[in-house]
Amino acid sequence: MSDARFRNPGWAGNTGEFDLTEADVRGSEFVGEQPLDGGHPGVAPSLPYMLVRKDPEAPLFEGPYLERFEKIRTRYPTARAALIPALNLAQELRGHVSPETMDEVAALLGLSDAFVRGVATFYTMYNKRPVGRFLIQVCTNISCNIRGADEVLAAFLEHTGTELGETSSDGDFTVAEAECLAACGFPTCVQINSRYFEDVSVEDVPEVLARLKREVNDGF
Amino acid sequence: MAYPYRHESETRILSEGFGDPAARTVAGWKAMGGYAGIARALEIGREATIDEVKASGLRGRGGAGFPTGLKWSFMPKDARRPHYLLCNADESEPGTFKDREIIRWTPHQLIEGCLVGSYAIGAAHCYIYLRGEFFESTQVLARALEEAYDKGLVGRDIMGSGVDIDMTLHVGAGAYICGEETGLMSSLEGRRGEPRVKPPFPAAVGAFGMPSTINNVETLAATPHILRHGGEWYRQWGTDKSPGTKLFCVSGHVRKPGNYEFPLGFPMMELIEDVCGGIPNGRALKAVIPGGSSVPIMSADDCRECSLCYEGVEAAGSMLGCASVIVMDDTTDIVKQVRRMAYFYAHESCGQCTPCREGTAWATRILRRIEDGRGTEDDLDTLIEISEQMTGTTICVLSDSLAMPIISSIEKFRDDYLALIRRGERVGAA
Repeated sequence: MSDARFRNPGWAGNTGEFDLTEADVRGSEFVGEQPLDGGHPGVAPSLPYMLVRKDPEAPLFEGPYLERFEKIRTRYPTARAALIPALNLAQELRGHVSPETMDEVAALLGLSDAFVRGVATFYTMYNKRPVGRFLIQVCTNISCNIRGADEVLAAFLEHTGTELGETSSDGDFTVAEAECLAACGFPTCVQINSRYFEDVSVEDVPEVLARLKREVNDGF
Repeated sequence: MAYPYRHESETRILSEGFGDPAARTVAGWKAMGGYAGIARALEIGREATIDEVKASGLRGRGGAGFPTGLKWSFMPKDARRPHYLLCNADESEPGTFKDREIIRWTPHQLIEGCLVGSYAIGAAHCYIYLRGEFFESTQVLARALEEAYDKGLVGRDIMGSGVDIDMTLHVGAGAYICGEETGLMSSLEGRRGEPRVKPPFPAAVGAFGMPSTINNVETLAATPHILRHGGEWYRQWGTDKSPGTKLFCVSGHVRKPGNYEFPLGFPMMELIEDVCGGIPNGRALKAVIPGGSSVPIMSADDCRECSLCYEGVEAAGSMLGCASVIVMDDTTDIVKQVRRMAYFYAHESCGQCTPCREGTAWATRILRRIEDGRGTEDDLDTLIEISEQMTGTTICVLSDSLAMPIISSIEKFRDDYLALIRRGERVGAA
């Protein structure tokens, strides 16, 4: 994004009045939208990532994912506590958490299928069915709402030609409503996959979508 | 480099490193005086550390305002069972966006705070529970934690003291209720994030059945400064009952929304008018929610003399909560916003307790009906009645949190409701 008004969506700190570059905000060490590999013996976080590439048939778990999974298990006193991190890893690989995925995770941790399904369906970040390459979640909670979040949500639906929660015909976009994303000072906040786009106005929507399209075409 | 929210009158203790990526490295944080707080704690010992925090009068910044030193002192003194420190970084109260700033600008401030807290309560393992949406913050924090491990600040024998403190980042998957301390413990254990009945309190039976303490990010981030400079130093700011500085998250209809750090007791109108540049487009102030969506709404008149400290906001009829000031101008449709909040609480109710599960959903349906112009005046009485039945009748305070905005909005903005009910007129719909 090079134009002046919509300077730096995707990283925070931009109120439109100040000129921050990506490096200023993120620091030069920032690694971008890559999985945290958990390469350090002491640190093994896993997030419910949403990546552009999704492989619903990916095995649970192999290679570096197996290493991460094994390391996560060492960080908790019980096997059960590794459940949410394991579901996070599964979603990162497969893009959504199907009932079959839940059962596979249950088998890995020695938990009952029913228990894991109960937990997995409790949390809203687990996609229970496949989503588009980009999951666009528009915060419509109070701070964004009084600044016009409903209109931003409507604009995303209009420009992607989708209904709330449905995926566009080209498989690129799923638009959903989100609860407060803790970026209330930068309305409207939109989470797209794992990135925050802040200060998004109705007029910015076509540009944001065009940028995402470019990322797909560039083989991102 | 200018940082978006900076005002010359601020007292920047916690936010000193905001806007400067240098604070994300150990060397950068040490240059700002970092890791001296934990060093002093290790030197003076556990009891003295707790006493220092007690002396500072620091109160929990997650919303309840419970004295931190006192909370730490509830932990058993013996070390027969593992103790855990849980850092609550599941920031999800609508209107609140301070913890994310602390984590992504000054991750070492939080890590040092977690070290101080863990040491004080005798915990050998600290879990930082982050919300799943915090991708960027988790990245920054993970990199900082890796470096802290490598430099011997976290892990075995920290800073050569013989004390072991491990730290794990645990990332949730989207549930507001996991910000409630017992819900957070359930979630950490790999269960549904359902709150538990207290007692037993976490200090007796907490995470994994072991003694645990749960502290907010901002609370823990303040402790290294207190240790470094002493409890009395911290009391130079704020009021007798609310000592210290606080990050105020201002959002909504102001020219310069953002996080601003001021001593507690700062006048609300000065924050809105002077610091945040006032309300844009020549509009007038209509209402303020001073502490995140879970507290009573204040009318413009309530705000005039209100000072932002725990007792000051209480005197004005609301609560400071986590100091998330949501400003609304006179175009705001209060009924719609209360309905939006009700929808949020109905969505986030964990469903264990009937008054909450049914009450939040029922209130949402009634508010939707009023908003659509199909309401009756009796509906307002029903809303009040539901709200009263949702207060103090459940395991946690999620349903109370909805009851407060409903009751206060009907009290203070009854005309908005009546205009919709009697004439179908919607405020701000022009």
